[in-house]
Amino acid sequence: MSWFPLFVRFFLRPLRQEPVRTALTAFAIALGVGVVLAIDLAGTSAAGSFRASLEALAGSADFEVTGIGGVPPEVLARLATVPLPIKVTPRIEDYARVESTGETVPLIGVDWVASAPAGGGEGTSFAGKGVWVGPRLASKKGARLRLLVNDLSVEYVVRGILSETPGAGEAGNVIVMDLAEADQALGRQGRLDRILIDVPESGELEHWESQLRSELPEGLSLERFGARTEENRRMLAAFRWNLRILSYIALVVGAFLIYNTISVSVVRRRAEIGIVRALGATRRGILVAFLGEAALLGAIGAVPGLVLGRLMAEGAVQLVAGTVGSLYVSSTPAPIELTPASALLSLCAGIGVALASSLGPAREASAVPPVEAMARGRVDYHSRINARRNLTLAVLLALAGTLAAWLPPVAGKPLFGYLAALVLIASASLAIPALVSAVSRGASALARRLLGVEAFMASRGLAASLHRTSVLVGALATAIAMVVSVGVMVGSFRETVLLWMDDQLRADLYVRPAGAGSADRHPVMSPEVPDLIEKVPGVAAVDRFRALRISYHGLPATLGAGETQVALRFGRTRFLSGTREEALSRLPGGDSVIVSEPFANKHKVGKGDFVELALGGTTRRFEILGVYYDYANERGTIMMDRSTLLKYLPDPSPSSVAVYLEPERDIETVRAELERAVAGRRVLITSNRALRREAIRIFDRTFAITYALEAVAVAVAVMGIGGALLALVVDRRREFGLLRFLGASAGQVRQLILFEAGLLGLLANLAGFVLGAALSLVLIYVINKQSFGWTIQFHWPVAVLLAALSLIDAATIAAGLYPARVAARLRPVEVIHEE
Amino acid sequence: MLLLRFDGVSKDYLSNGTRVRALESITLDVAPKEFVALVGRSGCGKSTLLNLAGAMDFPTSGEVWLDGQPTTKLSDDGLTKLRREKVGFIFQSFQLLPTLTVIENVELPLLLAGRLDAREPARDCLRWVDLEGLENRFPHQLSGGQQQRVAIARALIHSPRLLLADEPIGNLDTATGNLILELLRRIVTERGTTILMATHSVESTAFADTVIHLRDGRITEVCRR
Repeated sequence: MSWFPLFVRFFLRPLRQEPVRTALTAFAIALGVGVVLAIDLAGTSAAGSFRASLEALAGSADFEVTGIGGVPPEVLARLATVPLPIKVTPRIEDYARVESTGETVPLIGVDWVASAPAGGGEGTSFAGKGVWVGPRLASKKGARLRLLVNDLSVEYVVRGILSETPGAGEAGNVIVMDLAEADQALGRQGRLDRILIDVPESGELEHWESQLRSELPEGLSLERFGARTEENRRMLAAFRWNLRILSYIALVVGAFLIYNTISVSVVRRRAEIGIVRALGATRRGILVAFLGEAALLGAIGAVPGLVLGRLMAEGAVQLVAGTVGSLYVSSTPAPIELTPASALLSLCAGIGVALASSLGPAREASAVPPVEAMARGRVDYHSRINARRNLTLAVLLALAGTLAAWLPPVAGKPLFGYLAALVLIASASLAIPALVSAVSRGASALARRLLGVEAFMASRGLAASLHRTSVLVGALATAIAMVVSVGVMVGSFRETVLLWMDDQLRADLYVRPAGAGSADRHPVMSPEVPDLIEKVPGVAAVDRFRALRISYHGLPATLGAGETQVALRFGRTRFLSGTREEALSRLPGGDSVIVSEPFANKHKVGKGDFVELALGGTTRRFEILGVYYDYANERGTIMMDRSTLLKYLPDPSPSSVAVYLEPERDIETVRAELERAVAGRRVLITSNRALRREAIRIFDRTFAITYALEAVAVAVAVMGIGGALLALVVDRRREFGLLRFLGASAGQVRQLILFEAGLLGLLANLAGFVLGAALSLVLIYVINKQSFGWTIQFHWPVAVLLAALSLIDAATIAAGLYPARVAARLRPVEVIHEE
Repeated sequence: MLLLRFDGVSKDYLSNGTRVRALESITLDVAPKEFVALVGRSGCGKSTLLNLAGAMDFPTSGEVWLDGQPTTKLSDDGLTKLRREKVGFIFQSFQLLPTLTVIENVELPLLLAGRLDAREPARDCLRWVDLEGLENRFPHQLSGGQQQRVAIARALIHSPRLLLADEPIGNLDTATGNLILELLRRIVTERGTTILMATHSVESTAFADTVIHLRDGRITEVCRR
């Protein structure tokens, strides 16, 4: 342990002597670690919730039977009577909206007599319209609860509270009805959502599976219990993966700052290194000591980072759950759990990043020959002579990154896309010294003429401390690149969605049930509703649309059916492959479908291929006539003509109705007529404009978390700039003292530092913009395409980018205020004292 | 009229919480065009005296008058203005900014004073110290003597009335040191600039008009030639 006293004397003391800088670096790490942890916790919470809510009272079955549009009741009867020692549990699963709070909650229909556990759920007797609810919905039985189910509002009496009932769901906000009651409320006509099957423990599950399959009619699927939850998890994997990667950006920025801190330590302590080496310290001792400093900084940051992460997770989970609910699957956030594994992972991430980023400067420190140690400026000299080599490497890496971007996904993940992004960041980092050198030298004459001697000195100062400046610019540029690339991606996506909505949302009014709908929930309304609407004067046509949640090759998807003739007459759906007229004209009548772009990409199908669907007790092959652009959700949609769906599933209840008005008709007048026509039905009538507004609101909310992550990365970088400028002031105090001797005022010294901060921001903006533009291409055309399957049209959100970049430069200058104050207050006679 | 006057000046410093007296009741008059050498051991207060003379610091007691202005009455901005107009500094370790070329170093005082036409005066000064042709070199490309001459050119560019030199030959060999001392002498003779030079070498006082001996913050002897 000979290095320990060395470590305490040479590293702990200096860290304590510069508390502001140490605190800033540690806080940067804390923020990085906090963000990683918060996103991890929020993702787990949001993803874990659908199991918690929908699996209420499900226990732990072995198999589950499902089918598109539900499982016919006769299947239950058949399974119940097969001569096998199995237990079958029928379930209806949907969602209802609590009218008093507007909260959407899972609604589970179970065979209550068979399912209610002994002693579980108070009040097990049942009569009339009654429900059993989780403790968050009601505290005592007898309470009244008005629920919105599909297009009907019904009042129920709370028959019992499901508190502490084993298997009653963790979320505490579930509603349980008797099977018959749920069937009536949801208009299922006896069809079940799932039949759970328990088999005896003896025998292989594969054996039971084959036996059960033989008992089931065609068109139903038999899967291991929990398959749907697994499907949802798989579907969410790309979303969570991308979010997690994004959360690591703040840590990458933090890595630059740790690198800078340790580099500064090495440069400052060259003389000390030389002395201790001359006194017998080994290279390894020096290496370990510097790595120890980095690990210490990492630990100082990572521990409060855990607390910060847990706090930030509260906000993050709302944002993540909102996105999950809008785009993927119904979700109620589960309680946030900070597990030892998550905590350990975050600690390791913080300390690991600190160690990895300090390896370079620590090795350099250990390689310092004692004789040379007193020589000043060697590090900067190295940076200058290596600039050309670094630039060559940067070009090579940029080429490698471009090549990586062309490679296909690995196991559905855009691993090469991430690699391309990482390599491009590395390439930019290597090119930055050349950029800093060229710009600051080239700009110094201009700066002198336009902004005065302070700007001139600032540009020269940055060029002189090239090594340090480059790292700072690299850190901020990485954060800016993230802002630019994500900004361009989101801006492009938004523009694409707006254009898509122009094509897709052609109807004047849209009618849907007031019940809880989302990406995976498609409440229906009575078939009379569109019939009534059709008769209203001024209505030119209605398009009855039915959506069903399906599972396709182990992934959730949507099966949609609309009235193709209406779409042909009014719609403008754009096709990726196949032409609109050809595809839509062949759709009615035959076993054919069109599929959305995300579906085509997820399942690797295209025009001319076939999809196999189990519909109405039979499995059919449907020819794909075309692939159309769709940004409604990421699950992917198979679309068929309404007549085709009704042929297999004779349930005419639509999920929504698009209403086209005759030309020159006043929308509000017709809307009032519609409301009168459907009075008594709880439906929502939305104008085209309101629907678009709502869609964009959801879109913006979806990306709110992205903006939050960007803000943290920028904050980390700006804090780092502040800390680094402070170090710069300490290291260049003699220079500032000298300037005072040569006639500079305190204000001029202050200005010089602020110019340096501004120039750092400007250089970072320049490098970050170029890198961000390159990364935006990777994001749009590689990562996004491979993760989600959407084609996004490139678009520059100029105003947003300009505002963001100006704000960042202003923040960088603001970060220089304190160091500038310190520099201006230096006492020249003390710092330049030579006696 | 006197250029510089110290009237009963004392200066204390705080060192680790202890008050240390660097100068004790210094009374001193320096006339224009006078070359004054301050001689004494390291720590005797030479640099402190130079800093007070150059309006870089305030006395603890007493008064310093520079070209008729009492420095204690001036604000920080006033002191800066005084230095810009009337004082030039040269140091033992030259204190050139390594990031600037020779001519950029020389221009600096004029630029800091807000003058844009610094290039020609800088060339003139470099010519005067025999460094013509080295304008675009960086300090590390010059010898020690050349670096000190650049520092002298920089100190002269704004034609100060007082040049303060803190051990100007401390980092130079004897021959080069003598050349610098000759140059300082020329500054007094040809440009009429007053020089106050701190040195610990008695030999270098040969070029001075007045030699002041300092010991433990007090003047022990004044020799006028």
